[in-house]
Amino acid sequence: MDALDPTATARARLARHSLSAARRRRDGLARGTILGGTILALIPLALIVYYLLAKGLGSWSWSFFTTDPTGNTFFKSSSIGGVKSAIVGTIEIVTLASVISIPIGIGVALWLIEYGRGSWFAHTVRFFIDVLTGVPSIIFGLFVYIALIVGTGSTYAGYKGSIALALLMLPVVTRSAEVILLLVPGSLREAALALGAPRWKVIWSVVLPTALPGLATGILLAIARAAGETAPLLFTAGATFKTNTNLSQFMNSLPVQIYNDVTSPTNAVVNRAWGAALTLVAMILVLNIIARLIARRSRLA
Amino acid sequence: MQASTLRAGGRSTLERPPLARLPDRALKYGLTALAAAILALIVYFFFRLVGEARPAFAKFGVLGFTFGQDWNVSAEQFGALPMLLGTLLTSGLALLIGVPVAVATALYATELCPARLRSPVTVLIELLAAVPSVVYGLWGIFYLAPKLQSPEQWIADRLSFIPFVGGGLVTIPNIFNAGLILAIMILPIVSAISREVMSTVPADHKEAALGLGATRWEMIRLAVLPYCRGGIVGGAMLGLGRAIGETIAVTILIGGATQMPTHLFAQGNSLAAVIANEFGEAEGLHRSALFAAGLVLFVLTLFVNAIARVIVLRAERVHAPQGAAQDPRGPGPPALAGTPGL
Amino acid sequence: MIHKKIGALAGVATLALGLGACGSSGSSSSSPTTISGAGSTFAAPVYQQWGSSLASSLTVNYQAVGSGAGVTSLGAKTVDFGASDPPLKPAEFKALESHGPVLQIPMFLGAITVSYNVPGVKTGLKLEGSTIADIYLGKIKTWDDPAIKALNPGVSLPSTPITVIHRSDSSGTSAGFTGFLSAVDQEWKEKVGEGKDVQWPTGTGAKGNAGVAGAVQQTAGAVGYVEQAYALQHDFTYASVKNKAGNFVVPSLESTSAAAEGIVVPANLGIKVSNPSGTNAYPITSQTFIVVYEDACKAGLPGGESAAKGVVKFLQYGLGEGQSVLAQADYAKLPASILPKSKEAVAKLKCNGSSLG
Repeated sequence: MDALDPTATARARLARHSLSAARRRRDGLARGTILGGTILALIPLALIVYYLLAKGLGSWSWSFFTTDPTGNTFFKSSSIGGVKSAIVGTIEIVTLASVISIPIGIGVALWLIEYGRGSWFAHTVRFFIDVLTGVPSIIFGLFVYIALIVGTGSTYAGYKGSIALALLMLPVVTRSAEVILLLVPGSLREAALALGAPRWKVIWSVVLPTALPGLATGILLAIARAAGETAPLLFTAGATFKTNTNLSQFMNSLPVQIYNDVTSPTNAVVNRAWGAALTLVAMILVLNIIARLIARRSRLA
Repeated sequence: MQASTLRAGGRSTLERPPLARLPDRALKYGLTALAAAILALIVYFFFRLVGEARPAFAKFGVLGFTFGQDWNVSAEQFGALPMLLGTLLTSGLALLIGVPVAVATALYATELCPARLRSPVTVLIELLAAVPSVVYGLWGIFYLAPKLQSPEQWIADRLSFIPFVGGGLVTIPNIFNAGLILAIMILPIVSAISREVMSTVPADHKEAALGLGATRWEMIRLAVLPYCRGGIVGGAMLGLGRAIGETIAVTILIGGATQMPTHLFAQGNSLAAVIANEFGEAEGLHRSALFAAGLVLFVLTLFVNAIARVIVLRAERVHAPQGAAQDPRGPGPPALAGTPGL
Repeated sequence: MIHKKIGALAGVATLALGLGACGSSGSSSSSPTTISGAGSTFAAPVYQQWGSSLASSLTVNYQAVGSGAGVTSLGAKTVDFGASDPPLKPAEFKALESHGPVLQIPMFLGAITVSYNVPGVKTGLKLEGSTIADIYLGKIKTWDDPAIKALNPGVSLPSTPITVIHRSDSSGTSAGFTGFLSAVDQEWKEKVGEGKDVQWPTGTGAKGNAGVAGAVQQTAGAVGYVEQAYALQHDFTYASVKNKAGNFVVPSLESTSAAAEGIVVPANLGIKVSNPSGTNAYPITSQTFIVVYEDACKAGLPGGESAAKGVVKFLQYGLGEGQSVLAQADYAKLPASILPKSKEAVAKLKCNGSSLG
């Protein structure tokens, strides 16, 4: 992208001699502002990471990751346990939510671009999905609570938390997928079609792979958001301390564990909450790195 | 979109046999059904909310509830205006502060950054998205807000002639702090989308500007930003959606006041926060009022999206279509106008 | 190729989920009975602690979603027991009793302290109900106000302004605190009233006990009401409050239990500790209940007989050995006038007619 050919560079260098001081100043100012803005964005990150490390690193230990929380929350009790069930729960719940929302989100985005473009139906769908992005996360949880728990008289379950999270992720995945898929040049599609490929093959072999790096970014952000959300899980997934891999039963999760622990009067429990928060951030970072390795492809254009 | 049919002896040489067309048909109808199903789900979601909210609207009237100034649980009097204002103020602040900074980071990462730093900078910005919302809230209230209290008081005192901004006592949980944290929270998504769009600006646009002697900034201003305008707005809309709907962080930072907000550095409330704060203990009319607040949020997002759509479409009409060369297949309007959320 | 990578990833994810989903369904036969409850956040640490003590034979899953949501969950039969701080209202009883008779059983008590952070004042100030009400009404604005001085001769009070902290979220703690203020101060009763959330005339809102505790800690001159456990954890100084009998009482285990002594116990055990009359009673005390169906099996709870038995075991533990464990977290046990009545209620629980207790 920075590959300007020598002629242009030479021309630019020559032209710069005729640059007025005012333009040069404006350029310098703008560059400075852009750099400043970037640094400004990174400052809170540094502060938060430092804060998390300072408060949470002390709780990390082998037993922290391998034992369940015990429910012993009184000051004088011996062991409060670790956060194993929360880690397992978060992985399962978020994986299920992603498996549900990502294919559906990309599917809807594809439909909006390839088949529905311009129709009133597409406009309606897009409009409602846009509206869904503004719904507070707690409402998704309450919706599932009303529809699937109170309404049917059945119990809290991990998969119900996943459904609430999938609802949360869906508009984000759809919208970012649409932005990215639109950036795939029409000429690429045309070329594939001209070569005789059927529509579905064009989508599967040309459009999607080209859009993959961008899609991966959008999806990753959606997953990161879902993994850190507490409110949709409060009334749906059910809290339990024991590690439970069965999604149709109560399931613990890191955000809920953090939320409950951080309000405890016992200092040891509050420290565990920060250790759990650090764990969650670390897990998402690892996911980020993995996704980047998978999607290491050339960018569009 | 079949290729043109060259008829040679009855059947076109380029037409595909019916069986081979099946996957295409399946895909088309499958995806259409999916879109319809999603629409149906959203409508059902909406109806369920309305059902739960009905008692509150019945008692206070839709407008009476939405613009009522008094939220008094023990008196069973529910008016959502203080929360509505809080939501608008915090989200507005988040956009005002967050979008320019996000665009700056995207510009830096794509245009100004040395190549080796590009990946690290990108990963760092995205790391902001990895922080759970509850951590943002807690960091905000235990670390940031107390540190900002004196500077905010200084600003409030200096600007006391501006109504609503200055002149009052600064509390630690306040509207401004909530908006600031929201700005940080929406940075990653706005930055990521902006970055994606900026990285697809055709090199020849940029080289043309540079070749004519433009400075780096002028090249950005002339070749990059106009091209990306639609995508950036799309990203900003996603950020706005996040800001409007953010529950836990705002709940912790905004202070839960039940009266109308008095000034920017005082406590307020937001629609999402009031639901989070009160749902656990609510029953009957109170519960219904909370669902009604959720519905108001729904409708608010509807309005905001509609307005954004109008703004961008108008901007597109004025500005000559830049992306037309990219995708002539679209029905008239260039790719930019088809960008989501607009 | 990229598709292979994505396919592999998706495959692994689905496989893991599949294994997870059917992984533990076969192992439930030998594992301990599981019961679930939902409700009060105030009582959550205690129920979780009791659950932990019983972990070898009973798994207790408790969601601290709030008293209101807990009662709703019980009504929807999604949990085996509900936990509520305030006694059930008639409307709530009616809603629940459509499935069968319910019992509300008092479990324990907790003190709500009036904690403060006043520079230089390390001793417990003496405060009256009306003084506290005036502070929270905004009428008393500084710590050296004559009203406070009059109650505390000999204590040097600074002129620091008072920062009032209250709860921003609905809570039984607010209900207990405002209940006390309404009982002792007519102006408060008329202007603000009592309840889980009220329109606070002045002050800053903070979320949860932890939020109020944090706010009090951070602000010099702040006063806030927090459960005793938080006050002790943060090393707060708190007030001794004048009770109905005229004594200034410090919140302690004895004074908290004493608060429930001698109060009128209605037939449905819906006690409300509000400005009690005992000599050594601490006046700002809160109670909490567990609500269960009298006949869970007949009411159609999904757990069936084993869950019903589990609930009985949990309650028996809580009203027995569990009461002595309470002291470790500075919650107070039920006084002798109420504990037997709770035990009687537990004895009434049955499954399809046959008694369990």
